[in-house]
Amino acid sequence: MAEATGSISGLGRPGRSARGAICLCLFVLMLLAGLSCVIGVNQTSPLALLQDPEAAQLLLISRIPRTLAVILTGATMAVAGVIMQLLVRNRFVEPGTTGTNEAAMLGLLGATLLAPALPIFTKMLCAAVAALLGTLVFLALARRIPPQQPLLVPLVGLVYGGILAAAAGFIAFQADLLQYLAIWMSGEFSGVLSGRYELLWLAGLLAGLAYLVADQFTIAGLGEMASRGLGLRYGQVLGFGVVVVSLVSALVIVTVGVLPFVGLVVPNLVSRIMGDNLRDSLPVVAATGAGLLLICDMLGRLLRAPYEIPAGTVFGLFGAALFLVMLLRRPAHG
Amino acid sequence: MAKWTRLQLAAALMLGLAGPAMADQTTTETDRATVPVMTALGRRELPAQPQKIVVLDIAAVDTLAALEVPIAGLPSRLYVDYLDKQQAEAAPMGTLFEPDFEAIAGLAPDLIVAGGRSSRQVEALSEIAPTIDMTIWGASHVDLALSRLRSYGALMGRGEAATALETAFLAKLEATRAAVDGRGRALIVMTNGPKVTTYGAQSRFGWLHDALNLPEAVIEQPEAPSGDAAEAATHGEAISFEYIAQANPDWLIVIDRASAIGQDNQAAAATLDNALVTGTEAWKKGQVIYLDSAAIYIAGGGIQAMTATLEQIRAGFAPGG
Repeated sequence: MAEATGSISGLGRPGRSARGAICLCLFVLMLLAGLSCVIGVNQTSPLALLQDPEAAQLLLISRIPRTLAVILTGATMAVAGVIMQLLVRNRFVEPGTTGTNEAAMLGLLGATLLAPALPIFTKMLCAAVAALLGTLVFLALARRIPPQQPLLVPLVGLVYGGILAAAAGFIAFQADLLQYLAIWMSGEFSGVLSGRYELLWLAGLLAGLAYLVADQFTIAGLGEMASRGLGLRYGQVLGFGVVVVSLVSALVIVTVGVLPFVGLVVPNLVSRIMGDNLRDSLPVVAATGAGLLLICDMLGRLLRAPYEIPAGTVFGLFGAALFLVMLLRRPAHG
Repeated sequence: MAKWTRLQLAAALMLGLAGPAMADQTTTETDRATVPVMTALGRRELPAQPQKIVVLDIAAVDTLAALEVPIAGLPSRLYVDYLDKQQAEAAPMGTLFEPDFEAIAGLAPDLIVAGGRSSRQVEALSEIAPTIDMTIWGASHVDLALSRLRSYGALMGRGEAATALETAFLAKLEATRAAVDGRGRALIVMTNGPKVTTYGAQSRFGWLHDALNLPEAVIEQPEAPSGDAAEAATHGEAISFEYIAQANPDWLIVIDRASAIGQDNQAAAATLDNALVTGTEAWKKGQVIYLDSAAIYIAGGGIQAMTATLEQIRAGFAPGG
């Protein structure tokens, strides 16, 4: 407790046990990343990859960027999920169940229809602004739900997301873009190459910024009244959180597509073990999200080699099962 | 569905058996003579030369247009510019996947030609007017397409035109086969925005390999999963650029799906222009053939589309071309 209060103003450091967990996670993540770099259609040995100049080029152009893209996506989606959960004070939300993803899709669709010649960065911006608006509307909705009814929040989010998705579907149907929409709906990394994923670094930067104010998010998670009482500028923290969540979602959708469950499962998993002090848990959340998504992407590459299964599909199956297990097993405390 | 088709078959058979007995009547009334038509659901006997027809399959529109058959109703968007004239003259009948049943009923056609993307609607459409499913799908793509051409020729009383088209097509096929002979292995890929899928010999574009004896550039593997799933047949197998690099084809045949459906914001060439693809034999020798995706993807199986596709491949393989 003393540690938590001490770190509100400045940059606190994680507790000792948390530091151990962070190191372990980073170590496992490094191992997975190394593995991801040697898995591919070209099955030369890891050693040959380093010696052969042509294979080294393969590493630089395809494997390393892909691995980085998966890590950035997994980490930032998990962080966006945890922030969303703290802001709404509900464990069952993530950008995929609050209409954020659907709103981003609407923005992207609008940009494609109204100004198809826009560069990808401007389209991304349209998606991000739409995601921001969509998330704000969801927050306004969530505020009206009595706190005694925690399951209503994700339900309302799902209904709201469903309405937005229906709107996107209707527009796409009218414009004959349904199959175009489908490209973005399945998150996968087969198209990732050096020069085609770099927008994700922006998402990584945002997640890093979120870590700087991790303590404020932790306090905001106590609720508006409590955090105002503790002297937190609640509105600012809320606003910043919404911006991070929306931008990260939009960036990920534009670069790789929709990845369900990452932001939902990972924060819950970590919170079970480490609690909700973001200063301690945020690096672990990020590393776990990155690691799990890496495993899914590698499975997608291996199961039907040399063809691919989208990582989003693998994570969807895997994440849904994991989430059900967590729902059915009561938490150890609380 | 299965019951219905069996019923239709039985009816057709009975008509066929009863045919000789009614020979006198049919010969006197020429306009009510029936013609055998090979459809995707089996052989049908149909009254010859229907006057008002609605066509919901683009391959069928393509072939009927080549036979200069007037068409009364068409989907509101065909995506294929060489059919603009037909499009302008016909009334809109909904979309490719979802026909507008009211508009079709209002038109009261003598015959509805469905197939491919509209093949699921055949049963429902049959309640409005006689409907034939002319889907072209599966291994013997060229044979099926030519069989459809002959059927349309017989049905519409344009047998001679059909024979001429078939002869021209077979000549083009022979010329293309000669052009690709011994020139190396090819890989057919489709770009879809930033992503790439590949099409093997069993897929919807596999007829290019089959009909042209064009060897397939594939990666050796213990079990071949290609073509075992419906998805593989329609939208191909998702691959990474590394796959293309590893398969290292001598020829790359590219279909840009986004441009076929009217989206040209990310061209196929831009998607493929990366160090992994530019390292392949095909790219280094400039042996990348971009097919008119509307012809092969949207109108695939139409006689004009197939002829145009073959011509693009022949021109691509021509030395120096």
